[in-house]
Amino acid sequence: MSECGRHFERISEYLDGELDQETLVEIERHLSECPRCGNCLESLKRTIALCRRLEDEEIPLDVQRRIKEKVLECLAEESH
Amino acid sequence: MPKSAYPVDKPFDAIDHALIESFKAGSSEAIEKLVERYESRLFRFGLRMCGHQQDAEDIAQETFLSAFRHLDRFRQETPLKNWLFKIAARACFRRRRKKKGEPEREISIESLKENNGDYVIPDFSETPDESVIRNELKAVIDGAVRELPSKYRMVFNLRDIEGFSTEETAGIVGISEQLVKTRLHRARLFLRNKISAAYKEGDRKR
Repeated sequence: MSECGRHFERISEYLDGELDQETLVEIERHLSECPRCGNCLESLKRTIALCRRLEDEEIPLDVQRRIKEKVLECLAEESH
Repeated sequence: MPKSAYPVDKPFDAIDHALIESFKAGSSEAIEKLVERYESRLFRFGLRMCGHQQDAEDIAQETFLSAFRHLDRFRQETPLKNWLFKIAARACFRRRRKKKGEPEREISIESLKENNGDYVIPDFSETPDESVIRNELKAVIDGAVRELPSKYRMVFNLRDIEGFSTEETAGIVGISEQLVKTRLHRARLFLRNKISAAYKEGDRKR
C-alpha cells in the first residue's frame, strides 16, 4: 500500500486522537508534506463540523406530548 | 453505586441516578422527568436512522417502555443514556429488518478514494447563520446521511452526532472498537464525497 493509502485509512483516527504516538508522528510528518492528504483531512474536518452544527432542532411539542402520554398510558395499563 | 463503574470520561450523572431511585420508589413524576430528559435525543436519533417521523416517534416510545419495564433491575454500571441508546439502536435495526428489499450494503474504501483530493465543503465558520443557507445545507446533509447504509449511519450518528466515544459506541451497537473506527471513517468519507458533489452541482447551476 502506498504511503498516502496507508494514512488515508487512518485520518479519522488522527482527527479523533486515537492513534498511538508512533503512528501520530508518522502521519503528521506525511500531512505536512502531502497537500492531497492535507486537503482530505481539512475536508473531513469541515464535513464533521457541518453535520454537527445542524443538529440542534427541538422536536415538535405535539410529538413530545404524544410520546409522554403514550408511555404513561401503557405503563398505567400494565400496572393494573 | 460506585462512580468507578462509569467510563472515565463520563462523569456520574447525579440527576439520572436520583430519578432512577425515585422511579424504583414508585414515583410517576420520575417517569415524566426521565422522558423529558431524553425524548428529544431519542426522537432525533430515530428520525436520522429511519427517516420517518412516525417511526422515530414509535422508536422513542418503544425505548422508554422497554426501559421502564426493566429499570428496577438496571444496575447503573453504564450511564442511563448509553443504555437507552442501546435499546433504541436495537429498535432501529428491528424496524429495518421488517422492511423487505433493503439489503445491507458495504462501502468499500476503494470507492471513496476517487477524485484527486478536489473537494468542495463549505467552511462552517464562514457560513452565515441564515435560515435559507441553513435549510439548503440541512437538505444536502440529510440526503447524504439517508444514503448511508444503515450500519454505517448508526455508527456515524452515535459517534459524530450524539458524541459517544468509540468504546461506548462499540458497547451500544455490540461490535468491536475496530469495526466502529472502520465504519465511522468510511461514513465520514462517504458524506464528504456526497456533500462535495452536491455543492459542485449547485455551483454549476448557479
